Amino acid sequence: MEDIQEILEDFLVEAFELIEQLDQNLVELESNPDDLELLNSIFRVAHTIKGSSSFLNFDVLTGLTHHMEDVLNKARHGELKLSHEVMDVVLESIDLMKSLLHAIRDNGNDTSVGIDITDICRRLDIISNGEEVSAPVTPAQMDPVETPMDEDNVDYSKLSDKEVEEEIERLLKMRKEEDRQRKSQAAVSTPASTNVASSVQEDKYEEEEPKVAAASVKRAAPESSTPAKKDASSSMEQTIRVEVKRLDHLMNLIGELVLGKNRLLKIYDDVEERYEGEKFLEELNQVVSSISLVTTDLQIAVMKTRMLPIAKVFNKFPRMVRDLSRELGKQIELEISGEETELDKSIVEEIGDPLVHIIRNSCDHGIEDIATRRAKGKPETGLIQLKAYNEGNNIVIEITDDGKGLDPDLLRSKAIEKGMITEREADGMSDKEAYALIFKPSLSTAKVVTNVSGRGVGMDVVKTNIEKLNGIIDVDSELGQGTVIRLKIPLTLAIIQALLVGAQEEYYAIPLASVLETVRIPLDEIYTIEGKNVLRLRDEVLSLVRLSDIFGVKQVYEGGEHTYVVVIGLAESKLGVVVDMLVGQEEIVIKSLGDYLQGIEGIAGATIRGDGRVTLIVDVAALMNLAKGINVDIRASAETVVKAKTVPSDYVVLVVDDSAMDRNIMKKSMEPIGVKTIEASNGQEALNMIKSSEHSIDAVLIDIEMPRMDGYTLAGEIRKYSKYKNLPLIAVTSRTSKSDRLRGVESGMSEYITKPYSPEYLESVVRKNIKL
Amino acid sequence: MSDKLNQIIQKQQKQIEEPHKKEDDVVQLVGFIIGQEEYAVPILSIQEIIKPIEYTRVPSVPDYILGVFNLRGSVIPLIDLRRKFKMDSVKPTEDTRYIVMKGHDNTAGFVIDRLTEAIRIKGNRIGPPPETIHAEKGLVYGIGMREENILTILKVEALLKRDF
Repeated sequence: MEDIQEILEDFLVEAFELIEQLDQNLVELESNPDDLELLNSIFRVAHTIKGSSSFLNFDVLTGLTHHMEDVLNKARHGELKLSHEVMDVVLESIDLMKSLLHAIRDNGNDTSVGIDITDICRRLDIISNGEEVSAPVTPAQMDPVETPMDEDNVDYSKLSDKEVEEEIERLLKMRKEEDRQRKSQAAVSTPASTNVASSVQEDKYEEEEPKVAAASVKRAAPESSTPAKKDASSSMEQTIRVEVKRLDHLMNLIGELVLGKNRLLKIYDDVEERYEGEKFLEELNQVVSSISLVTTDLQIAVMKTRMLPIAKVFNKFPRMVRDLSRELGKQIELEISGEETELDKSIVEEIGDPLVHIIRNSCDHGIEDIATRRAKGKPETGLIQLKAYNEGNNIVIEITDDGKGLDPDLLRSKAIEKGMITEREADGMSDKEAYALIFKPSLSTAKVVTNVSGRGVGMDVVKTNIEKLNGIIDVDSELGQGTVIRLKIPLTLAIIQALLVGAQEEYYAIPLASVLETVRIPLDEIYTIEGKNVLRLRDEVLSLVRLSDIFGVKQVYEGGEHTYVVVIGLAESKLGVVVDMLVGQEEIVIKSLGDYLQGIEGIAGATIRGDGRVTLIVDVAALMNLAKGINVDIRASAETVVKAKTVPSDYVVLVVDDSAMDRNIMKKSMEPIGVKTIEASNGQEALNMIKSSEHSIDAVLIDIEMPRMDGYTLAGEIRKYSKYKNLPLIAVTSRTSKSDRLRGVESGMSEYITKPYSPEYLESVVRKNIKL
Repeated sequence: MSDKLNQIIQKQQKQIEEPHKKEDDVVQLVGFIIGQEEYAVPILSIQEIIKPIEYTRVPSVPDYILGVFNLRGSVIPLIDLRRKFKMDSVKPTEDTRYIVMKGHDNTAGFVIDRLTEAIRIKGNRIGPPPETIHAEKGLVYGIGMREENILTILKVEALLKRDF
């Protein structure tokens, strides 16, 4: 039983691939009806499907392919001219084949869905019988093995079960014979497409390239249709099919490894600081860098196994454009390039729908009809270019048409009419912002709603899907000249490059694919318009929002005169996110927060950093939504002091020394100032007091030599908190050498007092540091 | 063979889920203190018990969810049971622990004040939950009577269920 299941699965996978190929080849054939090689390969594909479906007892499918084969066979022998009308029927029957295959996949048989093929079969028959040409002229160059004339004249619907079985038996034998013979001629023909047993995906892609080289679907890639390449691909590349689940698991493991690598790098940094100049460091360095190198390579290698060429998606468009142009009565040529560009499987699956909508739009709204084009002095045939290429860690898909272009004024007035924007907003809109309006739901500039487009749904789908992939949409257009839509999508979803930012004491990771730029600006460049914070960046007005306002981060320190703005872009919109710190770029592994915390607005997931801490990943799309609801005057709130201190007794100085006597001396010295003092007897205790935020500490006096944690380490630890980066740390010590002082400065001490000292000196230093 | 195995597994499951119906069966629990009261959860639902470690706050969630922490590479939510039971939260002490509990499809850490002991209690010593406990509504599985005190036995599945 399982064997059958396996065979069935293989059959389905192969059949879907073959049909896709069939679709493409037929469209090409239409514009190039004399290409016998093409016609032959189409015939072979149809024949293969017929053979395997009859083997698996899918009678309906077999019957349909059989009738189709008849037509193709006649065409192959020159008995039939492949007109547009004939093509329509053939393509329609291919669509039916697709639905039958879907039915088989879902139900295991092709009868239960009740797809009726009698009508289409009848039409196919009419075509194949309609034109009687006297003598079949078999072209000399045709391979005799590939013209099994008589076997195709059996009508299965009229046969009894037994006869059918016999027929299948006979067909199978013939097929085997064919396969055998064809294998021996592997260099001339293309074996894999007819060979059921060797259902090897990779070969197919390679094969398609040389075949697809016709006029209507121009492949810009120049390497196509070179016989040398054909030879190479028929020498059977070794490939295996693997379940996606296994690859996913592998990807997860690599994710863990990347985290481990990050951790190792971090530890190495720490060790390097501590044991500078030691010999083992060199060795450690070598190991760490080689592990990190191998991990990166491994990650890329596994990522590559999940990559599929975007041809998988692109291939269905020639057919679509062909159908649309016939339906719309326009002449449209589709030019595809870069279809060998590879993308993660999960992304390939998501990218199809948006592209369908964009191309439909280009055909319907973009390209004008023949008369208009002629009047404008453009070539009658409209051109749509579909282009894919890599750009850093992203892939860019560009859809260009030479149609009428977008009219920004029309878009503005439509949007006002629908009440989406006010007139004032419309006036302040740049053309680019106006183009972005096409992605708003229910906005359509089409004067009539056709069944192709015009309902104003499609572009909204584009936006949603691209956002889901963390992609960016860019629209450019020139009225009368055409439109370019550029989709920029990250290559993979599981491991991404991220920009780590700090908002007060918290850190967040922003996917780098969404980061357009970062700028450092003085606070007084932020303006408020209608309660919204905006920044003038070059010639654009950018709305601003503070990350800590969105995520309700506790305000613990003031930012100072300057602040950082991370400009994020998603789909067609932009936003400036104000953060307190830019930590840097890091490769992060996306982990889910689990069921319990799923779907928190603004958070896409979490990652584990090199230090073992969890950092949340910002969901850029949700962030943009959340930003709309926030009305905080950034400038005003930045200027209000966290807590005002007026009298000396409001100030707190922490004294850290292991000797009680020394602590007393320091306290005595500070008595004249009138500040409050608290004590800690070692570094660890002091750090805990500081961390607990129980007291708002204004200065710390630190002894260097202490048990549990010494003064240098304490200073280093305190400086790790951004809210304490300006806290005065005063070393009070008997270590007087220059190197000690130097180390004090390195660890973050602000002052260095050597013992013995006069009480007045200590007093003045403290006063100076807390500005009293 | 597998039928028999299934029966045994089901029986074991029943023992965990419905201890008071099997009069003579002994239930193993882990006891802990939150505030003034002693609570307990079935020992089999506990993945591990760890000392407090650093966690990361998660925005826009109820206040009893402190955030998430890293448990050997997994990101796990941390829930403060004091706040969940509408008590004031306190600073962590030497005794504070995180109990990591595992349910069918969820894992979460819970902050408790201190652990007491592993408890074996007879099924017939567990009574139904009282009607009146408001903050813990739906979370209590039953009340365990012991010689010197009573235990509130919590429903792990309910604790692990998202309720916001």
